[in-house]
Amino acid sequence: MSPATARQAMPISPPDLPRTEAQPALRHKVLIRNVDFYYGTFKALKNISMPLHDRRVTAFIGPSGCGKSTLLRVLNRIYELYPGQRATGEVMVDNENILAPGLDLNLLRARIGMVFQKPTPFPMSIYDNIAFGVRLYETLPRHELDERVESALRRAALWEEVKDKLQQSGLSLSGGQQQRLCIARAVAVRPEILLLDEPASALDPISTQRIEELIAELKADYCIALVTHNMQQAARTSDYTAFMYLGELIEFDETERIFTHPKEKHTEDYITGRFG
Amino acid sequence: MSVYARRRIFNGVVMTLSVAATGFGLLWLVLVLWTLLENGIAALTPALFSQMTPPPGSAGGLLNAIFGSVMMTVTGTLIGTPTGILAGTFLAEYSRGSRFGEVVRFINDILLSAPSIIVGLFVYELMVVPMGHFSAWAGAVALAIIVVPVVVRTTEDMLNLVPNSLREAASALGSPKWKVIVMVSYRAAVQGMVTGVMLAVARIAGETAPLLFTALNNQFWSTDLNAPMANLPVVIFQFAMSPYADWQTLAWGGAVLITIAVLILNISARALASWSTFKQ
Amino acid sequence: MPSEHITRAYDEELRRLANTVAEMGGLAESQLGAAIEAVMTRDTELAAHVVEGDVKVDQLERELDNLAIRLLALRQPVARDLREIFSALKIASDLERIGDYAANVAKRSIALSQTPAVRPVHALPRMAHLAQLLIKDVLDSYVQRDAAKAYSVWTRDAELDEMYSSLFRELLTYMMEDPRSIGSCTHLLFMAKNIERIGDHATNIAENLYYLVNGTPLEEVRPKGDVSSLEVIMPDRAPQ
Repeated sequence: MSPATARQAMPISPPDLPRTEAQPALRHKVLIRNVDFYYGTFKALKNISMPLHDRRVTAFIGPSGCGKSTLLRVLNRIYELYPGQRATGEVMVDNENILAPGLDLNLLRARIGMVFQKPTPFPMSIYDNIAFGVRLYETLPRHELDERVESALRRAALWEEVKDKLQQSGLSLSGGQQQRLCIARAVAVRPEILLLDEPASALDPISTQRIEELIAELKADYCIALVTHNMQQAARTSDYTAFMYLGELIEFDETERIFTHPKEKHTEDYITGRFG
Repeated sequence: MSVYARRRIFNGVVMTLSVAATGFGLLWLVLVLWTLLENGIAALTPALFSQMTPPPGSAGGLLNAIFGSVMMTVTGTLIGTPTGILAGTFLAEYSRGSRFGEVVRFINDILLSAPSIIVGLFVYELMVVPMGHFSAWAGAVALAIIVVPVVVRTTEDMLNLVPNSLREAASALGSPKWKVIVMVSYRAAVQGMVTGVMLAVARIAGETAPLLFTALNNQFWSTDLNAPMANLPVVIFQFAMSPYADWQTLAWGGAVLITIAVLILNISARALASWSTFKQ
Repeated sequence: MPSEHITRAYDEELRRLANTVAEMGGLAESQLGAAIEAVMTRDTELAAHVVEGDVKVDQLERELDNLAIRLLALRQPVARDLREIFSALKIASDLERIGDYAANVAKRSIALSQTPAVRPVHALPRMAHLAQLLIKDVLDSYVQRDAAKAYSVWTRDAELDEMYSSLFRELLTYMMEDPRSIGSCTHLLFMAKNIERIGDHATNIAENLYYLVNGTPLEEVRPKGDVSSLEVIMPDRAPQ
């Protein structure tokens, strides 16, 4: 066979990603099943079903208003802070439906961490920022708390820069540092899942790359869901990509397939910049 | 004449008028302060702060009145501030967009601009009549009623300025709502809230009408909150209207004291506000 | 390579790309050596081995294509990174052709070994050796990103071309003298042409490397020493 046809016959997949046929499926940390979401009477999410794999990064991409942030916020039920917003369907986290009524939302949110688009350091010292979440559910002696704070700051690649000024206000840091502080704050409580809502969109390119490298490192220990309006960021950082449009899930697949050979024409039009 | 020249002339005219109007407004402020100082400076002696209000014709000071004012202002603030802060928190954190919240806010705004003499009369009916006598407590309560709407307003406004993303970030860590409010919202808004309290204090420091019906006045030194208590505004009222020169001087002195106190409070409140924005 | 990317995975992927090229090159080099040995020692088993071995070269090229596509889609490379990937793709293509030619030589050696040996066969190892040197040097220049070394390879191909031209004349003469040897000599002719083409592909690789390092293509006209296409063959006298 000629090299050209031989090339087409071979599926594109790098050795370090699982091929869904040959190896057993990765554990689904989160399984979203038939989720609808309403802002009042407006239906923002329509019958979304997809998995989030453990220790992998799943990116949500799509044009503005497609519902990707809305879907992310369903996962830790942060929408419950606002009346008139509700979700139906099921979201199974380790086989437990977190959309069930009567669930302790605060405990849920301690298991599922979230980082927002705009850095939100609390008006307290850097140390207290990190310790805030830890102190909510654990009483640790001082030296253990110190260790937790240090390890969280190390994981966020911030320790070296702030270790001498832990008592300074969190607001005294630069934008990129503040965002890493928020990430450190989220990982300090040892969640199982991390939700990142456009974490780098307010940052300059170098800080963005640092955050992306951080995500690549964090992936080893967490199930990460990443919303981004920057497709190239999704291509660089994620293992799985979900393309959404007007509240619907158009395509969900391995990132490499989506960006080299997507199944839906709609997806291809979006990622090649042929619309929206 | 060209368009440009016409515009320049018009600009000049308007600017002159604006400056003149400002000057006119400031003029009165300066005149008031000047009059106060001119007449009251003579009374600013150490005796002012060490002696009691004298009977007509003798020398004295304003110590009991100063003490009474401070006492009732502080007590009124202590009663009114927590109420105001909690109500403001309710409006900002718990009742966003609700009908009930709108009603509360509306009533608060009315109370904010209620004539203070009405407040005085109200407390008279509520406390003085059943108790059978005037008292500093009644005075403090009247002042508290004036403090509450101011603190509610400023607390609510300052808390509304705290971005929602900060609350969401705290909630997303699993924090219960009250902790979000106390440890994040309050800390973010604390400087604004303190400024609000200071402005409320400045407001009640000079209120006369409510005290007329509640604490009345007391010639002598008294620390009994259950009895009528001397206070600066009523003393000024009484002494200024009298024909006695030394009483009149004391009245001017009292007026200067109140003015200085209010000025200091207002200026500190503003300095605090700008220092906090500078720090941010 | 100069400093590293902030994203370490990117560096690892680029390294993998370069290593695959190096692996392909080493394989192609050894394939050529084995093919020539099979010719000289008339070892048909070795020759068959070489032919089978070409599958691995093709497989490496496909692997490299996949890797390059993945890098282009997911990393949005620019500047030097883009040239790296682009050059790797083109070099892999050249190396794959070199592998094919080596396998071709081996295949023909099987047929050749079944006829008596002819004298001009002794010129072949010298040509092959030179070609091997060109491959080795150009691969070294790739690993070291040394444009000067690549340039020297680029110039030395002329020598290989001249050797081919003289072998061409020699074979023609031999065939005219002894028509029974036409079969063997034709095989040898094709083998020599294959080796000459290997040299040309090595030169292509050198040009790609120059572009990779400098960012601009090599503008000079490639020195060509192969005049065989200009040979005029008269039926009754030997070529000059």
